[in-house]
Amino acid sequence: MASSHDGRSARQSKRLSVTALYLSMSNKERDFEIEDELARAQKNLRELKSKISSQSKKNFVLEKDVRYLDSRIALLIQNRMALEEQNEVANHLDEVEIQEGDFPNDDKTQKYGNLFFLLQSEPRHIAHLCRLVTMAEIDSLLQTVMFTIYGNQYESREEHLLLTMFQSVLTYQFDNTPDYSSLLRANTPVSRMMTTYTRRGPGQSYLKVVLANRINTLIEMKDMDLEINPLKVYERMIEKIESSGGTLPPDMPKSVTAEQAAANEQVQKLIEPRLSTLMEIANGFLTTIIDGLEETPYGIRWICKQIRSLSKRKYPEAQDQVICTLIGGFFFLRFINPAIVTPRSYMLIDGNPAEHPRRALTLIAKMLQNIANKPSYAKEPYMAKLQPFIHQNKERVNKFLLDLCEVQDFYESLEMDNYVALSKKDLELSITLNEVYSTHALLEKHSTELAKDESSHLYTLLKELGSAPPQLPRKENRAINLPLFSRWETAVDDLTAALDITQEEVFFMEAKATFVKIMRLLPHNSVVMRRPLRLDRIAEAAATTRNDSMMVRKGIRCMELLSQLQELGVVDKSDGFGLLREEIEQELMHLGSLKEKALRETVKLDEVLRTIRDHNGYLVGQLETYKSYLHNVRSQSEGKQRKQQKHQVLGPYKFTHQQLEKEGVIQKSNVPENRRANIFFNFTSPLPGTFVISLHYKGRNKGLLELDLKLDDLLEMQKAGQEDLDLEYVQINVNRVLVLLNKRFSRKKGW
Amino acid sequence: MAQSQVYQVVVLGAGGVGKSCLTAQFVQGVWIESYDPTIEDSYTKQIPIDGRQCMLEILDTAGTEQFSSSESTPASCRSIGPTPTQTYQPTDTTTPIGHGFLLVFSITSKNSFNELKALRDTIIQIKGTDQVPMVIVGNKCDLAEERAVSRAHAFAVSHSWNKTHYYETSARSRLNIDQVFTDLCRQMLQADAEQDRFMQAQEAVYGPLGGKSTSKRDLYGRHRRRRRRRDNGPRCVIL
Repeated sequence: MASSHDGRSARQSKRLSVTALYLSMSNKERDFEIEDELARAQKNLRELKSKISSQSKKNFVLEKDVRYLDSRIALLIQNRMALEEQNEVANHLDEVEIQEGDFPNDDKTQKYGNLFFLLQSEPRHIAHLCRLVTMAEIDSLLQTVMFTIYGNQYESREEHLLLTMFQSVLTYQFDNTPDYSSLLRANTPVSRMMTTYTRRGPGQSYLKVVLANRINTLIEMKDMDLEINPLKVYERMIEKIESSGGTLPPDMPKSVTAEQAAANEQVQKLIEPRLSTLMEIANGFLTTIIDGLEETPYGIRWICKQIRSLSKRKYPEAQDQVICTLIGGFFFLRFINPAIVTPRSYMLIDGNPAEHPRRALTLIAKMLQNIANKPSYAKEPYMAKLQPFIHQNKERVNKFLLDLCEVQDFYESLEMDNYVALSKKDLELSITLNEVYSTHALLEKHSTELAKDESSHLYTLLKELGSAPPQLPRKENRAINLPLFSRWETAVDDLTAALDITQEEVFFMEAKATFVKIMRLLPHNSVVMRRPLRLDRIAEAAATTRNDSMMVRKGIRCMELLSQLQELGVVDKSDGFGLLREEIEQELMHLGSLKEKALRETVKLDEVLRTIRDHNGYLVGQLETYKSYLHNVRSQSEGKQRKQQKHQVLGPYKFTHQQLEKEGVIQKSNVPENRRANIFFNFTSPLPGTFVISLHYKGRNKGLLELDLKLDDLLEMQKAGQEDLDLEYVQINVNRVLVLLNKRFSRKKGW
Repeated sequence: MAQSQVYQVVVLGAGGVGKSCLTAQFVQGVWIESYDPTIEDSYTKQIPIDGRQCMLEILDTAGTEQFSSSESTPASCRSIGPTPTQTYQPTDTTTPIGHGFLLVFSITSKNSFNELKALRDTIIQIKGTDQVPMVIVGNKCDLAEERAVSRAHAFAVSHSWNKTHYYETSARSRLNIDQVFTDLCRQMLQADAEQDRFMQAQEAVYGPLGGKSTSKRDLYGRHRRRRRRRDNGPRCVIL
């Protein structure tokens, strides 16, 4: 029985994958033809996915710039930056929009097209390169690999190739790490890549769906102190007594040891309820994470699966506990907990958490990590009080971690996808010249290792390409569409032969697909739509449609296919082509649920896109601010040499209290509600980089209050994480006011 | 017992180099064998230095780079965090940055050594001076056969960083552990003493409250300096 069952399921799975293949090949065609709700929903979804892919690449590039400038701006503020470095900073602020372009000549286009085809379709080269590069080189490689070569985050072939690359890198790590406690611990180019991977579209949706609510609820409880470190609790007690003007009781010395603090009864009383609150909250987090098993992105689960099989291979004796620790070393340590500890950088919350929630989140992350790890309470003895939580949840977390690994492999479908890719004549990569050149440069630098074998394709290509061109200045960088092809592998014209499937199967698939298309195009109330379907009538109806030559062609094709299949003995007219009919009916039923699924996914991805767009807006704003500031600094230092240009006073621009409140510039107001309508503000910029905000009351000539602002100070405050500026009557949000000043006062060339 | 000064020490370095093992050996005298990556731990320990009691508050940080918010976090979130790429950074400004720093790498990993430069740069940048109490620590020196960073090289690089002291330690065999912390502690004491002398000199010249460049370190690193600066920054005038 087993064998016959296996035989059938193998055949079925083959048929399924051939269907998938067929559908994916006729993908483009489908767009033009069918205009029903399913098609629209799917098209919508596809567009959304490609927007997410390209937007996250843009964000990645912007983040790199912001990160660079972040690290420089403090020096600039302190006036410790040399002129040439200022120029370099300025370079990072040049327009980011990259022009379209081409390679200067076709020969280069071909060779690079071939090189990138090789890199994309044989992930082992990149995997090898990842092991060779230094941390300093990883950034440019990361961008090219994650957002360009495998940049279509929702395209199964690219996703699967990327995962294959991770697999080869992970295997290497397992083979070359001496003891298990060092596994997956070091910061390597690979760990960097895996993090970046977890932060692409699917990982981001997951975090949003699973964690955002929990975190936000916690963030709102600004005053909930959950500190359980006795020493800190004790210190806060002392502080409280002192700040309220009290004197310390004689049995409370000002400084104590951790042990003394822990022994203090009052401290214990404070900590006791906090422990249960923490356990409750952490339990809530854990429950959502465990319930979110099915939401967990395929790729992340697949990486967990690899870690499991690699640990089993390396430590055949290992208990599940050890394996779970290692899976937790990826899933919790590198994916979940960073998002809990720094939720803002994962775009899960808008502002920075206040001190108490921040500490609570850190404690929660520590608790979750402790379940996955083997906690050593030698580190922080007070954490041992949370042991009940660890014990109660150990088992369910281990089960969850093992459940994560229960996903299908993709090798079969990858093989299929690769064939499809080869058969497509229009495989392209959207890439910038600088990405091409920097990848080339890295390959060249490490070529002795990468292309040892002189008969290898990589060796040949690198040799032909010669030495890598230098990076172009930003202004000259171009985005190109690089056609990918392989000189060595000819495009697969005859898929039948390549996939080892019979002519009957191909006919069967085509008939099925064509009938389904016809049914989707015919009006729903048409007579031929009634069940059971009469396939010959449907074909006829299509073939005799008026004014629709395409429909007619499809109808005729279906008639041909029916008779061919009949001749081959696959279907039988006498039972109404039963075999084919059943499959078509099933397929149509399936389509309904496909639409639902597409719509559900659209809602989710819309949310993701909105989040990353918001983030993009933030990054652009940040760059604008830096740009203005730098311009200001430079014009001042230039001013020392030549006569200061005449500066025009800009403004005043008038804003009502309500406007500013709406834009979030005013974050807290002490003005009584009924007077707010009478308050307005004037913003003026007498000099570049200097602003005056004045507060006015309607009907009075003179302002009530005036505030001088220097851009330097605002930036420094922002850098110090100080978010509010106290204006006595109102509290102003530093970030928002910067955005506003930016919008209002950007002078033609900076400010 | 005399009231002892509290010094804050931050332990930084790449993932898996043994920061926690080093710290736990120093504070509790235990060797941690288990797989237990750190997210953020804090310890206190009192040590006698040249007859004075010093209270150390040690912040043991995450080496796992994912805990750094740097990849996408705006500047406002990470003014204090000591490192751009490797370390979890407290997102709140009230978290003190620390008076002294242990920069730890593993002598078996070249990468972990290379990561120190960025850490040091950031510290200097935040502190606004390169006169920061600091010790470079090459851990895991018991694993001699796996050594990837030579003692001479590490020493030379440390020396080129404003003559920063370099130690090789083994947390496993508790080699040189106390020495590292003692050295750092001496540096912090000395920095404090110099600061006081400087302040006294300033007061002698300019009278109390000193000149404009006073930057006495307090618990919050550069806060005091910043506050002073703000005094002539934005100002409110009630008209």
